[in-house]
Order: sequence, then C-alpha cells, then structure tokens
Amino acid sequence: MATGFFTDTSLCIGCKACEVACKQWNELPSDGFTFTGDSYDNTSELSGTTWRHVAFVEQMSADDAGLHDRWLMSSDVCKHCTNAGCLEACPTGAIIRNEFDSVFIQPDVCNGCGYCVVSCPFGVVDLIEKFDPQGTRYNLASLVEGRREEHQTALQGNGGVAGKCTLCYDRQKLGFVPACAKACPTESIQFGDVDLLRERARKRVETLTARGMNAQLYGADDVGGGVGPLNAFFLLTDRPEAYNLPAQPVLPSTRQPAAYSAAALAALGLAIAGWMIFRHE
Amino acid sequence: MSDLLEPPGREETQPVPTYYDRPLLKAPAWEWSVVTYLFLGGLMGGLGLIQLLADSSVESERRLKRSARISAFILAAANPAILTSHLGRPERFLHMLRIVKIKSPMSLGVWGLVLYSGAAGANVVRELAVSGVLPRWLRFLAPGFLAPLQAFLGAFIAGYTGVLLSATANPLWSSGKRHIPAAFVCSGLTSACALSTLLSTLEGNHRVTRRLERLEMVAGASELAILAHFEKHAGRYGTPLFTGARGERFRRYTIRIGIIAPMALNLLGSILPLPKPVDAVRGTVASVLTLVGGYILRESMIEAGKASARNPHAAFVQPQ
Repeated sequence: MATGFFTDTSLCIGCKACEVACKQWNELPSDGFTFTGDSYDNTSELSGTTWRHVAFVEQMSADDAGLHDRWLMSSDVCKHCTNAGCLEACPTGAIIRNEFDSVFIQPDVCNGCGYCVVSCPFGVVDLIEKFDPQGTRYNLASLVEGRREEHQTALQGNGGVAGKCTLCYDRQKLGFVPACAKACPTESIQFGDVDLLRERARKRVETLTARGMNAQLYGADDVGGGVGPLNAFFLLTDRPEAYNLPAQPVLPSTRQPAAYSAAALAALGLAIAGWMIFRHE
Repeated sequence: MSDLLEPPGREETQPVPTYYDRPLLKAPAWEWSVVTYLFLGGLMGGLGLIQLLADSSVESERRLKRSARISAFILAAANPAILTSHLGRPERFLHMLRIVKIKSPMSLGVWGLVLYSGAAGANVVRELAVSGVLPRWLRFLAPGFLAPLQAFLGAFIAGYTGVLLSATANPLWSSGKRHIPAAFVCSGLTSACALSTLLSTLEGNHRVTRRLERLEMVAGASELAILAHFEKHAGRYGTPLFTGARGERFRRYTIRIGIIAPMALNLLGSILPLPKPVDAVRGTVASVLTLVGGYILRESMIEAGKASARNPHAAFVQPQ
C-alpha cells in the first residue's frame, strides 16, 4: 500500500510541533540558534537534519476597502515523488523505494557523493556534513540515562551521508503514524493511504472553494516535468512560489537523452576532424 | 538584487512572490576536488582519441602514441582517488560498484572510469612490452581492439562529465543540457592536445606538434561556438555564469586566455616559419594557457551552478 502525507496548509497554525516531533523521534541534532528575521521562521529550510519545516508567509496589501493581511503557514516535507530525481541519481543504490512506496535513503549504504542533492527538483535532500554534539542537548532521547553515548555514536555513524524525511519508515513498520502527523494538533498533517488522502483532499478543496476561499492542491495529481504525482502533497491557498515550491518542477533524468546525444555528436565530429588531420597520404 | 528578483524565461504580469528570497534548491557542496575530477576526466578522455589517431608505423607518432597512453593511464589511476576524496564517506567508494544504473550518470561514469582504466592499463603494458621494458610476449594482453575501445570510453568520460552537470535540477546546468556536455568534450580534447604537445616538446618530438595544434584549433573553435550559443540560449538562467565578476573571470580566463590566445598562437605557428627554439616556447605557452582555461571552465561552471541554485526565481520554472 502506498502511504503518504496530505498537508492541508489551511489548517496549519504554525506551532512547529511537527518539526520538534520529527527531530525527537529521528534523533536529529539541532541546527543551532539562528535568528533570521523572516517572520517566525528560524528553521529556514529542509536539510539533512531537518525533515519538517514550517514556513510563515506574511502577506499585506492595501486597497480602497482597507488593509488586508494574511498569515499563511505550511509544513514542508520531502515529497516522496512518483519519479524521484534523488533515487534515479543515486549511484550506490542507497536510495530505494520501500514497501510503503516512500523514497528512503539507507544511511549505511550512502557514501555521501552528493549527487542526489543537486538532483532533487524541490531542494529537499542535503548532506549531513558532520555530527554536532551540541545538538543533542535539546534532544529528550539523549537525556535519558545511558542513552547519550549510544545516541552520539549512532549520529556520528551517519555523518557524511545524505539525509531527508524517511516518512518514519521505522514507525510505519511498527504500525505507527509518522511522528509529525501524530504530533500535529490541527490535523493539518494527515497520514494514510495516498489514494484515500487524495479523495479527502479534493473534497476539502470543494468545501473551501464553496466558502469563497482560494484553495488548490499541489502534487495530488501529476506536477508535470516527468515527476508525476507526489506521495506527500499539499493544499495551498496561494500560488506555489509563495511557499517556495516550484510551479514547474522537472525530473532531471528527462534531460539525459539530449545531453548524451550532444556529447556523442561533438565526439563524433572531433573524431572525424582528428582522422582527417592525422591521415597520411 | 534587482536581477535576482526577475524571473528567468517567462513574462509575468505581476511580480512572482518569493519566500524571503530564500533558495528553493540546494547548492552542490562540490569543491576543488570535483572541479579537478571533471577537468582530468576531460583530459584523459581526449588522450583516448589521440592514442588512437597516432599511427604507429610512423616513428614520431609512435612516440606520441606512447606518451598519450602513459599519461592517460596515470590520469586514469589518479582520478578515482580524487573522486573518492570528495565523498562524505570515502571508505564507501566501492558501494558505487554494487550496481550499474543506466539512469544515473554518476553510476555510468564510475563504470566508464573503471573500464577506461582497464583498457588504458593494458595499452600501457603493450607500449612497455613493445619498447622492451617488459617481456615482449606480454603484448597479448592488449589486442588491437583496445585502442578504439579506449578512444570510445574516453569520449564517453569526457562527455559524461558534462551530462553529470546538465542532468540535474540546477537551473544553470540544466539550461545547458546540450551545450555543457558538448563543450566539455571539446575542452577535453583541446586539453589533451595541449598536454600531448607539452610532452612531445619535452621529448624533442617536434614533428607531431603541428598536427596536434591543428586538432586543438578545430576543437577550440567548436568549443568557442558552443559556449557563445550557450550564452544566448540560456538567457536569464545563464546570468550566474555570464554576468558580473564571475562572468568577467569566465570570459577572461576561459574564453580569451584559455581558447582564443592559444588558437592565435597556434595559428601563428602554422603560418610563420619560426626558429625551432622560439617555436617550442610558443607551443609551450599555448599549451599551458589551454590547460588553465580548461580548468577554469569547470571551476566557473561549478561555482556559477552554486549561485544559480541560490536564486529561487530560476527554480520556480525549471528548464525543460
């Protein structure tokens, strides 16, 4: 069965419980304290050690009717694409599609070449540069007596590899809901069978549209460019760019035929030129 | 900054919002080791063609063949080490040899490198056996088809270093899906001609340099045309490479110093009957400039790719 996330941003209240639950369950180190000044968003982006990221979009405009302001919040996550750029690019086979149809990086196989990082059209996956021992200070699991050392060893073992959302593969295998969906207090993050989630999402769009809201789904159907539908899709109330999502993503491997044939053509032309230059009468 | 706010490649009636101008894509963490890897990949690829072109029945070309094969083999042995050094977990290099993945240029490239090393190694054994350093009977290790095979694999490696960049989500690189691979093939051959000219000059094997320089001019002119077309074709996706300080550096070191200057020097050498020592200096200078230009081509492409990844507008509508 294909499972996934339906992230309904119209319900998100920006509490970041998903970010915290993800960090805690997956024992991911802190990314340090940065003050960005970008609304309430001090997380900034998904990274090798940040697998949920809540965006805060503040919008203000004025017209004759007065001042309009809107505060959009959205919890971003790996999209678990039908055709995943990272999975296709991985030269070691570390990135696989598991039995839940999620795109999963096997941390013990990955050698940290970084090719998946540049092959993700959504900018999700990144390298975990190295383990930061400071990060464990805020991790509850590491504060449990006797866990600290083991925990640090585990993360050190994962340094130098690529990281991203696993769709809580380990929890799913135990029959649990992923940590972020479990922690979400408003059901903005819904987990389940992707087909059922899509049905629910379409009904939700109808409801919101009937109420006069601008609501659209992102990734419930094919997003184009060869990427296909996303197993983690979103309900947005503004254009994708406002949430830092690409309006037209493209699957990188679709460019390979053109790229290889251009190289072959150049090589053939130069080989002929070389043969003519080196030919002896 | 105003440039950053303009969306590339499409007309908008109202400005496209960004998320606090934050990057949408991740920039590659690739540093000098990957630049060197791409450069040496092109170089050894070009040497593959030269060792095939050189005719072993002519003494001067037999020496060229030998120097091309030996230098190609040294590069083929060094390059995997450089590739390994950039990995987050170098001890897991061999994990890349667990599988063959047609859809991953990185996977195919590593296999290309492995096969090339094999062919290049066998061809070097043949050279050493023919020249008497190794027992003559060892020639059987390198049957005749290995020469064209090394040339074919060389062309593949030089081209794949371009495909590796252009088949990613990076807006600059993917906007040059045809240009970058073709330009890297041309640049690989100019570099290989330059290195072979240098080695032949050192050996005192002056008779072959004229031919090498002629081939280098053809490849350099093709590269120039491809890069000029890339600039026009890439449009706003191309700004990180072709404008600003990086654009100036690219034009100065890769285009003017790395392609045009050696072409002019080589042209000069083929029309003016210079005295031998002067001609050797001219050829050496031209070759060094070509090699520097080839390295800066890769370096500019990687660095401009990082800048391209930081511009969210370039990533909203990705090149086809």
